[in-house]
Amino acid sequence: MNHYFDLLFAWSTRIIRARYQQSILGGLWAILQPLATVLIFTLVFSFLIKVDTGNIPYIVFSYSAMVPWLFFSSAITDMVDSIVSNMNLVSKIYFPREILVFSALIARFVDFLIAFAILILLIILYRLPVNLLTWLFLPVVLICQILLALGIGLFASALNAFFRDIKHVFTLIMQLWLYATPIIYPVTLVPENLRNLYYFNPMVGIIEGYRAILLHEALPGNSFIFSIVISLLVFAGGYSFFKKVEVQFADII
Amino acid sequence: MYSIKLTDVSKKYRIGKSSLNLRSIFRRKNIATKFHWAVKNINFGLQAGESMGIIGPNGAGKTTILKLLSKVTFPTSGQIEMNGRFSALIELGAGFHPELSGRENVFLNGTILGMRKAEIQKRFDDIVQFAGIEKFIDTPVKRYSSGMYARLGFSVAAHVDPQILLVDEVLAVGDMAFQKKCYERMQQLIQNGTTLIFVSHNMRAIQKVCERSMVLYRGEIAFEGSSADATAEYSNILRKAAADFQDVSSEDISEGIGQQIMTHEAVIEKIEILKQNNEATNTFPSGENAIVRAKINFYKDAPAPVIACSIRHPDGQVVYDFTTEWAGIQTPDFSAFTSAIIDFPLQLNLSAGSYQLGVNLAYKDLSKYYDRIDRGLDFVVVSSSGARGFADLHAGFSVSKITENKTN
Repeated sequence: MNHYFDLLFAWSTRIIRARYQQSILGGLWAILQPLATVLIFTLVFSFLIKVDTGNIPYIVFSYSAMVPWLFFSSAITDMVDSIVSNMNLVSKIYFPREILVFSALIARFVDFLIAFAILILLIILYRLPVNLLTWLFLPVVLICQILLALGIGLFASALNAFFRDIKHVFTLIMQLWLYATPIIYPVTLVPENLRNLYYFNPMVGIIEGYRAILLHEALPGNSFIFSIVISLLVFAGGYSFFKKVEVQFADII
Repeated sequence: MYSIKLTDVSKKYRIGKSSLNLRSIFRRKNIATKFHWAVKNINFGLQAGESMGIIGPNGAGKTTILKLLSKVTFPTSGQIEMNGRFSALIELGAGFHPELSGRENVFLNGTILGMRKAEIQKRFDDIVQFAGIEKFIDTPVKRYSSGMYARLGFSVAAHVDPQILLVDEVLAVGDMAFQKKCYERMQQLIQNGTTLIFVSHNMRAIQKVCERSMVLYRGEIAFEGSSADATAEYSNILRKAAADFQDVSSEDISEGIGQQIMTHEAVIEKIEILKQNNEATNTFPSGENAIVRAKINFYKDAPAPVIACSIRHPDGQVVYDFTTEWAGIQTPDFSAFTSAIIDFPLQLNLSAGSYQLGVNLAYKDLSKYYDRIDRGLDFVVVSSSGARGFADLHAGFSVSKITENKTN
């Protein structure tokens, strides 16, 4: 069983190496992408339309959410395609198929870590107060987010093997999901009467959790507990669906 | 305990539309789809250290069996039992990424085939040396020639050190020298107790590597026995299949030996090659006495026809041709609506290999053929002498005297 960990590691390395092979900036892209996105939104929301982010500079406010969000959305986009794009392997060699899905996420996780280092730099640069005790809670939020992403990734990658439309559907979903999550705007901007409905999005609790820890020296609020429950359910559901249909992968190409 | 055991294994595939559509899922209704049995009622077992060759035409189910064994796909019914770690060589260089170096790909490919990283590290030098690409190991594999690529792929798989090794027709690439190396490696693994399943179109390779073989035809085991018998049987099955496919009586099939007129006033119904005790077999030790037997049906009177028997190499070259005319043998007159059985007793002084047997029947004046079958049956000659050439002259060897020649 253990050798599958080696495979997981090797396959993740393959994705990362291949991604930045023959590119001049290489791993720098992991920083440039969220930074560029945030700079655009900063231009719009701190100069053109003023958005109230309290005493937190807009750039830190949005970057602290953009980094986990881009990890989430790019991991899902990669995971959805991970089975289909490796069909030649799946139809010929046996290994636990979820390795392909997990590796897609792990490879994006490395990008996340690089981008996160810049976030810490920003926090220091803007001299934001830091409570290291609350930072200890950060892995819990991260794991919750990863479980949610994996659940969706497992479900969607399996379904994508049967219906190639799923890939396109998810590109669309991820675009809409960005705007349904408080990344470029604060939750306070959402009308009060829609707030309850808004919190049904599990990413709201997660992103709010990140901000509470990183920017407000606080622990995640109640909405995060809801996110944990949803994430666990999605992960369990996605994984069991994947395991149920994976035997058919090799037969359907 | 069996290393591999298949009991009544069948696998069916849906044909026609490649995937199901959304509507059928929501309706949960079985739409009338056509199914194709890729393999049907497969039974066989192998003990540790045994080897089995699988031969058969394209679409016979060879690859399906390998996929079932390697757990890529699952049988529709029946049971597969596998004991021991297995490695499948269904595609060389599986998971190779063109942008990555040979070194990185060895680790990648090795872990896909089920090796630990530490194991690969230990065998890394052997793998690279076996592939013979020491100089290029840090070059991206996209710069490799297809031969180098295949060599590295095989080399990794051959060093997995599996208890069960499944090899598909992957050695077609690579030069002769490397192929030889691959076969030797397989033989070596078998000797070390690895159970081997080897799928190939290369009859000589199958005979070299596997003691036993099976012939798959249309998803079923058409024959199972020694590899020599199986390769002979395979040719026969192919011929029968071809005959079923085309109109047998079609007169314009010329075998490339000039224009031949066949009147079919007499028809060779059956050709056999038998041991001296009349036992039918496909395999003969070199030098063995055998009987070529043909059954002929006469539809018109055939006065003293010339009857011939020929043996050819699979490439068409005539190894032996015997006719009653040249031998000065007077054949009897056969009358219409009778059948006759004719025998050619002969001694098979042939070198090891597979041969094709033909019989033909011509007019007394050699103006026309009644019927001729050039490749009626395949048989195999085995020999322990290892001699090459057409004929086995059963050479011996001795040294009679050593004298010292004075040099001064």
